[in-house]
Amino acid sequence: MDAMDEIVREFVVESYENLDQLDSDLVALESEVGSRALLSSVFRTIHTIKGTSGFLGFGALEAVTHVGESLLAELRDGKREMTQRTTDVLLTMVDCVREILRSIEATGAEGDLDTTAVVASIQAVLDGEEAPAAPAPAVTPAEALAVEPETAADPEPAPAPAAVTPVLPAKPAEQAPAPAPVAAVQPAASSEPAPRDLDEAPVRSATESSIRVDVEVLDALMRHVGELVLARNAMTSIAADIDDPALVHATQRLALIATELQQGVMKTRMQPIDNVWSKVPRMVRDISASLGRQVRLDMIGKETELDRGVLEAIKDPLTHLIRNAIDHGIESPEQRVAAGKPEQGVLTLRAFHQGGQVVIEIADDGKGIDPQAIAAKAVERGLRTSSEVADLAPQDVFQLLFLPGFSTAEKVTHVSGRGVGMDVVKTKVDAIGGVVDVQSTVGVGTTWRLRIPLTLAIMPALTVECASETYAIPQINLLELLAIDDKQSGVEYVGEAPVFRLRGRLLPLVDLRDVLGREPRESLVGAVIAVMHADGGRFGLLVDQVRNTEEIVAKPISAAIKGIGLYAGATLLGDGSVTLILDIPAVARRALELQETAADDRTAVVTDSGETEQMLIVSVGEDRQVAMPMGAVTRLERFPLEILERVSGSLVMQYRERITPVVDLAQILGLGTTFREELAVVVCQRGDRTVALVADEVVDIVECATDERSEVSGYGLLGSIIVRGRVTELLDLEATVRDVDARFYDAQDAELVGAGSEH
Amino acid sequence: MKALVIDDSRVMRRIIGAILTDVGFEVIEAGDGQEALMRLEQHPDVRLCCIDWNMPVMNGYEFIVATRKRPEYRDITLMMITTEGEQEQIVRALAAGAHEYVIKPFTADVIVDKLGYLGLLDAEVHA
Repeated sequence: MDAMDEIVREFVVESYENLDQLDSDLVALESEVGSRALLSSVFRTIHTIKGTSGFLGFGALEAVTHVGESLLAELRDGKREMTQRTTDVLLTMVDCVREILRSIEATGAEGDLDTTAVVASIQAVLDGEEAPAAPAPAVTPAEALAVEPETAADPEPAPAPAAVTPVLPAKPAEQAPAPAPVAAVQPAASSEPAPRDLDEAPVRSATESSIRVDVEVLDALMRHVGELVLARNAMTSIAADIDDPALVHATQRLALIATELQQGVMKTRMQPIDNVWSKVPRMVRDISASLGRQVRLDMIGKETELDRGVLEAIKDPLTHLIRNAIDHGIESPEQRVAAGKPEQGVLTLRAFHQGGQVVIEIADDGKGIDPQAIAAKAVERGLRTSSEVADLAPQDVFQLLFLPGFSTAEKVTHVSGRGVGMDVVKTKVDAIGGVVDVQSTVGVGTTWRLRIPLTLAIMPALTVECASETYAIPQINLLELLAIDDKQSGVEYVGEAPVFRLRGRLLPLVDLRDVLGREPRESLVGAVIAVMHADGGRFGLLVDQVRNTEEIVAKPISAAIKGIGLYAGATLLGDGSVTLILDIPAVARRALELQETAADDRTAVVTDSGETEQMLIVSVGEDRQVAMPMGAVTRLERFPLEILERVSGSLVMQYRERITPVVDLAQILGLGTTFREELAVVVCQRGDRTVALVADEVVDIVECATDERSEVSGYGLLGSIIVRGRVTELLDLEATVRDVDARFYDAQDAELVGAGSEH
Repeated sequence: MKALVIDDSRVMRRIIGAILTDVGFEVIEAGDGQEALMRLEQHPDVRLCCIDWNMPVMNGYEFIVATRKRPEYRDITLMMITTEGEQEQIVRALAAGAHEYVIKPFTADVIVDKLGYLGLLDAEVHA
């Protein structure tokens, strides 16, 4: 009896695996009509289920698969053409088979599912009845499609026996590791668009070189390896203190073996992303059918492997992003044609490894996301004020999408936009230490990008010291480390907020001491800047010193500590101390608040600045430099040359959805127009008026006394000053700006102050 | 005695394997015809092959044809396992050199009877 039970279980597991393959085969068949390799593969799956269910006494299952098999045999032998309707009934059959399998899995019996409608609908197709002539079967597939997207996308069945389902049905999906190597090979074959014939080796082959292991065993193994890694860290640290050659030698060996073991165990837990993707073609088909979209699905990098824990965790976010792309991204065929695009939209999933992380992209060629609409929506929802959104760069506007309570759906459909927004995607991706961002161009398309750690269990981290406490920073967020030297070179101040000039770009600095509310730093000298990447932006985290890089095992922390909102977990370091792991995205968000306060201060500082003034230095042409008061500069940007346009003889550019007059500094200096590919743009804003000044490069920001200038001047210039040993022309900003926008200085200061105090 | 069970379904291999083990065979498995040929190279002492018809890469019929071309495999008994819908194929398989066939779904007794008939059963175990 036991042996029989085991066979039944094996049967369910095997059938689930085969059905996943079958779903994608069936969908592929619609575009690859008559591929014998695909048809044979589909036929074989159903044939196997039928043959085995006969053995195990599952009559209903046998009946359903029997008619299905007959239909498939006719298709395979070319006696029948594949049509939309054939696909529909076959997919309905697959759903029915799944339903029965679920019941078998949960209760050991087929249950009392009524299969007659399904059998009848397939029989109707077999008998060559036209859809209208057989009302019952014609309705079934249609209904199934209308309701299906929900269940099809979600492998955990909601309806079936409640008590058992949450535990059991999750199993077969998870138990898939063994066929992994096979799965990694076959998608390559099935994604090939070229028609194939029977002789070509198609799909699936059982290998005896692989065994099936219970995932719980692997999980336990991984936990133990995690502990081993910690023990090794402790050992290494002790060995360093004792300094006994024999001990050091033994420790090194231990370290080496532990690393290899860790890699080995991690490998066993790796699964190709195709295990999740294999359900996507069906999902895309169902969603696009119910929404009246035409979508081609391209999947690139199916064989990319990631930890099964991570794989589980990205399932929902991925599903949500795909639904969203079809629902809100890709337009209806009519709209697409009107916009001059092909009727069929393209949804591209791409996965690849990059720098110890997995990158997953979901790209559509749909209507894109309109930053203005997003900003307007955020204001309407009361998530941001209008002055707040006006200050945001397009990239930052997209981040609003991830705010809780944000949904751009103009109408709520059953596919997406039922209150579950992108914030859920972000929360889930954050939870596994990943990063999500979005790029979009109106009318061209949208790309969502998930960057995810390879594994959850063990992560490389940087340990840093701040106010004599040690903290761990996940390496996934770290871009580079910089030390501040005695002269504090590169450190500048915008108002009171420190920034760092990193390769010509200003990097906002966030002092970890401020974030954690520790005693303030006396001097920046000797501090280390950890350049972090989070929430689609970069910032420099100021810490006292860097201690080490270590592999850490993240342990959960109590709700009270989690509630602080700055820590992602805790870990044990080599010296045995407990250390908190910083939640970098959370730190970044908190830093953003600090920056806003900093922006408030700025206006005050500028108005009462004394004899010396901060000057922005830009380079123009081969060897000229121009200085202008930093206080008048609102923003520094880089744009490609193409942004410049000429309107009735004057240079303009579109900046934040407005036509903005442009001053070409080269012309002011009488150099003639020789623009580079990329422009350094100095933006001056006053009230609602904006003027842009175009130079080649931003050189520096310096503190200098403006009264030490020579009177050698020309039009638009006030004279020249010496900056770091070079003659630099001082721009008459007011005259220059007035020249292109006579009313610029009419915009009152009152408005500027008013906008500032709203924060 | 060794038997090679060739079927692309793990469940079927297990069912057939269990029956054969019960009557004293040492069972080796293969997921398709191609793999089965490989297994035969590794285990030249296989006496019996139970062959499914429908398999990827190399189906049962092709496997029989390939095996029959090899004189060193002349002594291996080839038993087809098919479903009732494949009568025509049974004839082809027999013509190609299969010795016996079993129609799915079958019971253990059917297999054991056929094996006895083919003289492949160890008298003691069977008794």
